[in-house]
Amino acid sequence: MTVLILTCTQDVTADLVVDRLRVRGVRVVRLDPADLPGAVGLSGEYGDGGLRGTLSVGDRRVGLGALRSVWVRRPGVAGSGGAQASAWLTQEATQALYGMLRGSGARWMNPPEASYLARHKPWQLRLAQECGLPVPATLITTVPGAARDFARRYRDLVVKPVSGAHPQDPPLVVPTSRVAPDADFDAVALGPTLLQRLVVKRADIRLTAVGDRLLAARKEVSPDAAPEDVDVRFAPSTRAWRAVGVPHRVAAGVRGYLDAARLAYGAFDFAEDHEGTWWFLECNQSGQFAFVELDTGQPITEAVASWLARPRPGG
Amino acid sequence: MRMFALDYARPAEDPQVTHAPPYRYDPLLQVNVLDDGRPAVRDHALLRELGSTTSTAGSKTHFDD
Repeated sequence: MTVLILTCTQDVTADLVVDRLRVRGVRVVRLDPADLPGAVGLSGEYGDGGLRGTLSVGDRRVGLGALRSVWVRRPGVAGSGGAQASAWLTQEATQALYGMLRGSGARWMNPPEASYLARHKPWQLRLAQECGLPVPATLITTVPGAARDFARRYRDLVVKPVSGAHPQDPPLVVPTSRVAPDADFDAVALGPTLLQRLVVKRADIRLTAVGDRLLAARKEVSPDAAPEDVDVRFAPSTRAWRAVGVPHRVAAGVRGYLDAARLAYGAFDFAEDHEGTWWFLECNQSGQFAFVELDTGQPITEAVASWLARPRPGG
Repeated sequence: MRMFALDYARPAEDPQVTHAPPYRYDPLLQVNVLDDGRPAVRDHALLRELGSTTSTAGSKTHFDD
């Protein structure tokens, strides 16, 4: 039985898991859907009441029925890598690949339809609330008056992308940023804007959930950190991530979240305030984990490899 | 006037310029390897230095950091 990993070639985090699976003697096929058609081949025949299909990349071939699990890590857009790339080819390649794989009976980290929903940050906030995780007061709006009223009530705000994505034309990054005290909110009329009460934090928390395993790490805010540096991804820091236990209520909330979202993997970000409360910020359904493992030594790669290596249902 | 959040944007680093990694993908091993043939992931110091596995890696094409 084989583990199928869908990711781009530059993904060294996937390398960690490929390496670990090889040590365990588990067969792996790694490919990028961007290379379908081309370097990646796909064929499936429906007949005699069943589906028989194969995937190939280079000299490697795997039958769809021989897949124990599929890890959707950092895949390229199906059909986008070739000279004939087009929106229609992408649609055709996406349907062919994921449609057939979905019928393979393999276990998924994570199911594509669950991933699609789980990427919606506004939905994440609501689900976190329903699961009992504290969520900072948040407003998503295109109404300047609503933004001004929110700012009056909560005073110190941050702004962040609703989608979590960054503009590409031209390439920019939009870190979570503290809103200027004299901000003019007229421009929220030009696009949905996510404003959130600033959590004055003493640490950032990254909780990586792999199946039933919860591995949390904590990074203290430097005492000399600039007040404007609120986004741990972009803030300069000399502090390292340290392993930390997961409070019982948080663990229960996270497990409820994963069940409701039907996710096998999730990387949760929290801000820990000065009372010790972990405020839910987001859950990245394919979030990076190696940077935490490098600092803490937590066995996240091993947890992912173990999950992927398990037999398929009924297998 | 532009979208509110863009007032807080900053230029993205060009990965082609700033992060050309000293490894390449080996389709036989299915991992990235260094010039000496070792898997790049065995060199933790290099991964730290390059930030290849940090939560901003891959932000250009993926928003699940």
